[in-house]
Amino acid sequence: MGRIFLAPSLGFMALLALFPVFYAVGLSLYNIRGFSRDLVGVANYVDVLTDPGFWNAAKNTLIFTVASVSLEFVVGMAFALIMHQAFVGRGLTRAVILVPWVIPTAVAAQVWRYMFDHNPGFVNWVLGADINWLRDPAWSMVGIISADVWKTAPFVALLLLAGLQTIPRDYYEAAKVDGAGALQRFWSITLPLLRPAIVVALLFRTVDALRMFDFAYVFSGYSNSLATLSVYAQRFLVAEPRLGYANALSTVTFVIVMLVGLAFISRMGRHMVGDVGRKERR
Amino acid sequence: MSVFPHRRRLLRASGAALAALALTLTAACGEPPGQEPEGEGESAGLADDPQFVWAVTGADRQIHEDVARLWNENNPDRQVEVFFLAPTADEQRQAMFQDLQSQAGEFDVLGLDVIWTGEFAEFGYIESLEDMRGEIEGVSLPGAIDSSQWQQELYALPYSSNGAFLYYRTDLIDEPPTTWEELYETGMEAAEEEGIAPFVGQGDQYEGFVVSYLEMFWSAGGELFDEGQETSTFLEGDAATTALDFMIESRENGFYAEGYDSMVEDDARALFQAGEAVYMRNWPYAIPLLEGEDGEESAVAGEFAVAPLPTFTGEGTTSALGGLNNAVSSLSDNKELASEFVLWAATAPEAQAILADHSLPPTMLSTYEDADDPDFEMLGDILAEAQARPPVPGYNSLSLAVQDSLHPAFLGQQDAATALQAVDDAANDALAQD
Repeated sequence: MGRIFLAPSLGFMALLALFPVFYAVGLSLYNIRGFSRDLVGVANYVDVLTDPGFWNAAKNTLIFTVASVSLEFVVGMAFALIMHQAFVGRGLTRAVILVPWVIPTAVAAQVWRYMFDHNPGFVNWVLGADINWLRDPAWSMVGIISADVWKTAPFVALLLLAGLQTIPRDYYEAAKVDGAGALQRFWSITLPLLRPAIVVALLFRTVDALRMFDFAYVFSGYSNSLATLSVYAQRFLVAEPRLGYANALSTVTFVIVMLVGLAFISRMGRHMVGDVGRKERR
Repeated sequence: MSVFPHRRRLLRASGAALAALALTLTAACGEPPGQEPEGEGESAGLADDPQFVWAVTGADRQIHEDVARLWNENNPDRQVEVFFLAPTADEQRQAMFQDLQSQAGEFDVLGLDVIWTGEFAEFGYIESLEDMRGEIEGVSLPGAIDSSQWQQELYALPYSSNGAFLYYRTDLIDEPPTTWEELYETGMEAAEEEGIAPFVGQGDQYEGFVVSYLEMFWSAGGELFDEGQETSTFLEGDAATTALDFMIESRENGFYAEGYDSMVEDDARALFQAGEAVYMRNWPYAIPLLEGEDGEESAVAGEFAVAPLPTFTGEGTTSALGGLNNAVSSLSDNKELASEFVLWAATAPEAQAILADHSLPPTMLSTYEDADDPDFEMLGDILAEAQARPPVPGYNSLSLAVQDSLHPAFLGQQDAATALQAVDDAANDALAQD
């Protein structure tokens, strides 16, 4: 009976979520140039896997994801621990820390690009350096990573803070009585009990970082130096219209993101089970 | 805007104020010239009973509106409605692609950037207008006609144009240079005396850089393709190397201003306007701003002039041709009327005069003949010699390849010979019909 009632909403969700995916996969089997459309099977996928541009984009995406997610985790954790302390002005601090997160990414990217630009050269002035932030491939990668960390570390902090608040105070008190130092309390109580929140935060950030478009595109357009998988797919959707190829690229990106997401979720699921086990023991 | 006051202001501001200010500045500096942000992606509401629709860029909106109004006054039974697209080229193309690829066919007349003719023709998006060739030959700029055809067949008619000026400081330079070497030497000398930069222009990794490179390449005697547009001639002769070597060497010696490699039109204009450069390569739109018209602050008002861009030989001038051509959509259900409008916009003196009045360069030769403004007259001469970037089907891929290989080579991040070879390969690919 319940299933019958659920059917319409499930059908609706399938239509919304699955139809575009399958349609895109369908299109990726064609070579589309204007009004002419030939079925070419998996030829587009063969092209993708032999295209140095694709591997370059994959490399850029990987570097960006690993670097930005780890930094965001460290910075976000620090923010969360600070915000978790009771101090005067805590509410205000929480609000201020979230400001970067609420600014639309495209807008934030423009602001950062402007600060990195030689004219007026704000970042170089602050650092007392003379770095070509926008057009030196290595430094521009550093640039978008720091911009992304600035933007999304607050989001990680918020998720971790929510996790921190679920840890009962008496664990810490008991540990203190037993003579555990601050570091030991962090390693043995905070980190293990925070694991579900950490996994969720890392899942969201990793999946998001793998799809990153705004910062790379605003900083250097379709340039190979920063192009991520999303930028590279967009290039063939808009700049060099080859719709079939663009859809093949999008599908490959989708599969990568999906696999990474599933890996996280399966780990999270196992952990949830472990969590229940521990509770029962207790 | 001048540069240094901003720096001080930026530094004084803090926190949210900084973000807000930076936002305003970005908005103020990031817009392409002549762009009006509001009202893109909408119909202008010019016709009571529109018979066909003209899709055109939202930049210079007023001009296109006036042209459409004039048509509607003359043709009350056959009125046109204007649909304004986004001001940036990529978005315009995307909107038109969507209309065509999805078979919606809302647009009858398409205002195409000069480099899209081959692509739209190859995709079957636009109608051949070959039978109108007689009406525009000798009437429109030859370069604009070149940009309207693909493989010797006419697919669009010229509408608006654009060409580059060499802006120079009359207080520092007596006579504008005729060769690139002379430009380099006089620029370096004057810049050193004044403590400013010798040259600003379009050096970011985008179409503007491609145009800047091609202007040097053409002025060294190079051609991208053979006569029949069947094969790339990019590496024939030494034009490609001459141009790239000149740029690399000049950059190493400090000829280009700091930040040239991320500079677009308006960044260059802002620096020149603040008195920070001796020379600038830019489009005509900068003249009124540099003159300090409409309350603009300008450090160089009355102290600059324009000249044609130099060449390597000292003979003539070469500018890349910009602008729009109008084409008839192959999905239009009113093709006859649409092509009549396209022809009218190209050849009616009163329509082309509207462009000239708003300082958007027209394509009709006669509009330049009886001009009283010497700059405008010079622009006519420049445009008469201007080169069309070949509108081959893969022009955008070619342009991206130039950006991907020559820009790093220019910055010394990639080997020059490899980069030039990559462009030659991309040029051949751009012709491919697959």
